[in-house]
Amino acid sequence: MENIEVVTDEELVLQVIQNNKELYAKLIERYQGKLMRYASYLLDDPDKATDVVQEAFIKAYINLKSFDTTKKFSSWLYRIAHNEAINIVEKTKKVIALDPESELDGGINVEDDFVKQELITHAQECLNQMAIMYREPLSLYYLDDKSYDEISDILRIPIGTVGTRINRAKSLMKKLCLKKKI
Amino acid sequence: MSKEKDLTIESQVMAKVLSGKVKMKPRWYFVLGSLLSITGLAGLITGATFLVNIMLFMLRRHGRGGQFRLQYMLDSFPLWIPILAVGLLILGIIVLKKYDFTYKNNFKLIVFGLITSVFLSAYLLDLSGLNDLWSTRGPMRGLYQQGRGKMLKPYFFDVR
Repeated sequence: MENIEVVTDEELVLQVIQNNKELYAKLIERYQGKLMRYASYLLDDPDKATDVVQEAFIKAYINLKSFDTTKKFSSWLYRIAHNEAINIVEKTKKVIALDPESELDGGINVEDDFVKQELITHAQECLNQMAIMYREPLSLYYLDDKSYDEISDILRIPIGTVGTRINRAKSLMKKLCLKKKI
Repeated sequence: MSKEKDLTIESQVMAKVLSGKVKMKPRWYFVLGSLLSITGLAGLITGATFLVNIMLFMLRRHGRGGQFRLQYMLDSFPLWIPILAVGLLILGIIVLKKYDFTYKNNFKLIVFGLITSVFLSAYLLDLSGLNDLWSTRGPMRGLYQQGRGKMLKPYFFDVR
């Protein structure tokens, strides 16, 4: 058991592929909480989030042999969950997307600590009002502690764009949270 | 509540995995997919280059001194060639988007590079003289001579 805990995700994948299916449960155990949180931030519906995460794990298993073990398994898995969540968002289109351009104020100096604190406290409320384009990188960066590189792989956008969207999302968030407090 | 949900997800997924309801796709499936993708992309780009090349050849052949009535050009030029060339290029760009390097780098620059390469290759192919050869002999003669009859008619009979 102790041995399994120190095995990397990529090594676990290799073992699962070599007919050790039971070990897939270990991968699920490692990521289901994180993916549930991620899906919840995108969908604001626990049941849909559960479906998304379940479907993501199933699709990941089906396509496990396509995974390049030289890359990060978490980015690959998050990408699958992202695609599943986006499919549901596209179908429901419940999100009221604020016009990001009208909300931007380049002059606001937003502290990272403030953003993280507000996100943790009012995560769902703040994120729901944001367009998904900004919600995703913000939640991945602050709540899932993903690096810009990982976010770039998950969302399949250039690293520069990740930075731009996070900065814009921070500005948006400060305005949204300030509005709420008033 | 959260732990219950986690257990549900894990147990439901593992039930499907262990019972065989859900199976891993074999490796050859993905290898074949990659090969088809690369071949398809190469085919699309080659096709687009060839069609742009034919287009340049036809425009060159009928543009002596640039004297060309627009109406005759529209009537006689086989428009399906540039339309198909554009279609192939668009499909090629869609296929290209599936590769990782396209989002890690400036995608607009990559597309610009692709389109420029296609036109440049087509232009070089036209300069090489192969078009003149293919238009007079070989299986592609019919393709090269599309619209030629209609184009010759105004050239000979048009009274200015």
